[in-house]
Amino acid sequence: MANDDSEADQPETPQPGFLARCVFSTDHKVIGLNYLWLALFSVFLGLAMSLLMRIHLVWPGVRLPFLSGSSLERYAALTTFHGSLMVFLVLTAAPQAGFGNYFLPLQIGAREMAFPKLNRLSFWATAASLLGLTIAFLAAPETGITFWIASVALFSFASLCNGINFSVTTIDLRARGMTLARLPLTVWAWFINAILSTLIFSILLAASVCLLSDRLLTTHFFPPLNFLAGQPAGFVVNFLPVLWQRLFWFFAQAEVYIAMLPCFGLTTHLLSTFSRKPVWMERLVVLALCGVGLFGFCVWGQHMFASGMNPFSPLVFSLLASSLGLPATILVISWLGTLWNARLQLNTSMLFASGFVSLFIAGGISGIFLAGHDLAAAAVSDEFITGHFHLVMGVAATFAILGALFFWFPKLFGRRLNELLGKIHFWLTFAGVYLVFMPMHWLGLLTHANLYSGSRIAAMVAPVRGFITIAAILLVIAQGLFLCNFLWSLFRGEKIEERNPWRATTLEWSVPSPPPAGDFGATDPVVYRGAYEFGVPGLAEDFVPQHLSPEEVAKAR
Amino acid sequence: MPGTTSPPEIELIIEDIGGGRGNPPPDGDHGDDGGGDNDNRGRKQSPSPKRYSTAITIALVSILMFFMALASAFIVLRHGSDVWVTVHLPPILLANTLILLGSSFTLEAARRRLSSADSSGFRKFWLLTTGLGISFVAGQLIAWRQLVAQGVYIASNQASSFFYIFTGAHAVHLLGGVGALLYVSFRKSDQKRISLSLVAETTSYYWHFMDGLWVFLLALLYLGK
Repeated sequence: MANDDSEADQPETPQPGFLARCVFSTDHKVIGLNYLWLALFSVFLGLAMSLLMRIHLVWPGVRLPFLSGSSLERYAALTTFHGSLMVFLVLTAAPQAGFGNYFLPLQIGAREMAFPKLNRLSFWATAASLLGLTIAFLAAPETGITFWIASVALFSFASLCNGINFSVTTIDLRARGMTLARLPLTVWAWFINAILSTLIFSILLAASVCLLSDRLLTTHFFPPLNFLAGQPAGFVVNFLPVLWQRLFWFFAQAEVYIAMLPCFGLTTHLLSTFSRKPVWMERLVVLALCGVGLFGFCVWGQHMFASGMNPFSPLVFSLLASSLGLPATILVISWLGTLWNARLQLNTSMLFASGFVSLFIAGGISGIFLAGHDLAAAAVSDEFITGHFHLVMGVAATFAILGALFFWFPKLFGRRLNELLGKIHFWLTFAGVYLVFMPMHWLGLLTHANLYSGSRIAAMVAPVRGFITIAAILLVIAQGLFLCNFLWSLFRGEKIEERNPWRATTLEWSVPSPPPAGDFGATDPVVYRGAYEFGVPGLAEDFVPQHLSPEEVAKAR
Repeated sequence: MPGTTSPPEIELIIEDIGGGRGNPPPDGDHGDDGGGDNDNRGRKQSPSPKRYSTAITIALVSILMFFMALASAFIVLRHGSDVWVTVHLPPILLANTLILLGSSFTLEAARRRLSSADSSGFRKFWLLTTGLGISFVAGQLIAWRQLVAQGVYIASNQASSFFYIFTGAHAVHLLGGVGALLYVSFRKSDQKRISLSLVAETTSYYWHFMDGLWVFLLALLYLGK
């Protein structure tokens, strides 16, 4: 707790080495970027794992790396590795810890996080948990599970420290004039998510401690027999995969909210900026974000021990249809209201943000339809669940992350991502995710409806599975396009000389790109207005940045 | 508002915030840096020292959730189990509890000495608090040894698992508090940016919380028998 921080105005050291600049740095920008690199690495690793699974599913005869030997266990380990990489290190780390670390201090006008050394500790704990997850995947199943739980505990600890850091920064380090009402919605989302993280991850940590003690000290906090008794008969074939699955679902429950919240904030921010309109019903959106956090916490807390941790308890359905219903509706209405009658700037970032809205609405509607279904029966067809939550949670969140990346890339690196490649990538991805995950819904419904005999179902299912796998391969190849764009733009992309290429309002655009050490130069920023002053009549420009004083605005008239 | 240069619009929107949280933005006169001066634009401010107490408050909520998760696991498993073997709590726990409660009082006494600028009295009571804290942890270790001597191990039954997990997790957290107490005892006050009273205050939040938490856990263990 008593963390002494490096002073912002320490004497200029002549060109620190790579280690000091990137590895041991306590600069929030470096740490944020490090999180993003970590997420980029994990997302491609996770994609590769999912391809292995798809190929194995369709052509079981093909010899694949990591899937030799006792296939059932290896397959379960593969699933868990894919899931934990994507959920923890991509969906949790990128939008919250990555972009949040970089842009939360910049957007509220702070020069640093509240506790920079704690921040560095969180990052390295996160990196270590990635290492642990990888070891868990490669190790023998028994040790693997222990490693996995320990890594998750480490990740929870890192997220706790992060959550404390983010909330304190937002509460105490805001610039002069940055009242709560003037906070950008991204900051609101990060802030609420940080508070939610401090609550939820400590429960996760407690659960991991109990699980670890079960495994290492032979205690019986989670009696395995109770769990197995409640399962459909098909599940008790092999104890080990069940345990893997159970743990995976158990943690995923909380993660849904943690992953989605910052994405809501990012999307709202992007939609407003590129519609050149204020966020419609901004106050209500803030309330809705709080609502998501509150519901997320309550629903999950109730789930935790009360429901006996059935892994197939109504995960996504209840999420969208009941608990998230009201705040989600408010968010969607606000997004559509912001888009209404706007002069849209359809660049790649905006496309991804709209893609998020589209996926979220599609998932929400199917979620509402399905909420009434008997979930015990639906649980049998886990392909349905797989399709549904990938589309709503995984893909939607990825769209928000990509939109934010295209938006902030000029600020991060002083260069622009290629728009043409970006748009091609967007449309390929957009088509690809629907082609991959929509048939999965259908497969799930088909296999669990009793309309056809077993052999007919098998005949119908096989070509669809093949189709999904081929679509998935194409989808992953399309991501190669993004990787090329990213790497090429990093070194050769169009240079951005101006500070504010998108003509956005928030404080990060008032500093050079990339921002210098200490972020704001010699003077502290002062904030004079709300975060979404677009389309103000009577001005030469159609926006007013937050740091522009009334005198300067008057001059512009 | 101290700032005469501050534009009128700022005040307008501060009123506009609504909700009880209306913290005006940090406006220049935080605790140690010598009070508000009128010209805040054009110079850097070090981050508000208030962040330490905010951080400890949030951390405490988080720690509370950690123990609540364990406690709810305890309650659920206690009710769901047909064969609950009770653990006879060693009587030394009561003595430990008294020691810990006493340490809260000495901590407050130390802080009172500090506010009346009696630095030797502060040191005396502060060291006494540290000593009491360490002896509490030692007492908990003795309780563990007594249980082990009776043949009650962590994996013996669910009740004993919970006993060890509760006391162990609490002791780990309390050792963090002891670390903070020691840090205050031996810090060199001159070149630090946070004042002694602030560190003492932050530590006291944590310490009293650990104190109350222990009473709660003990009550839970007794009632759960």
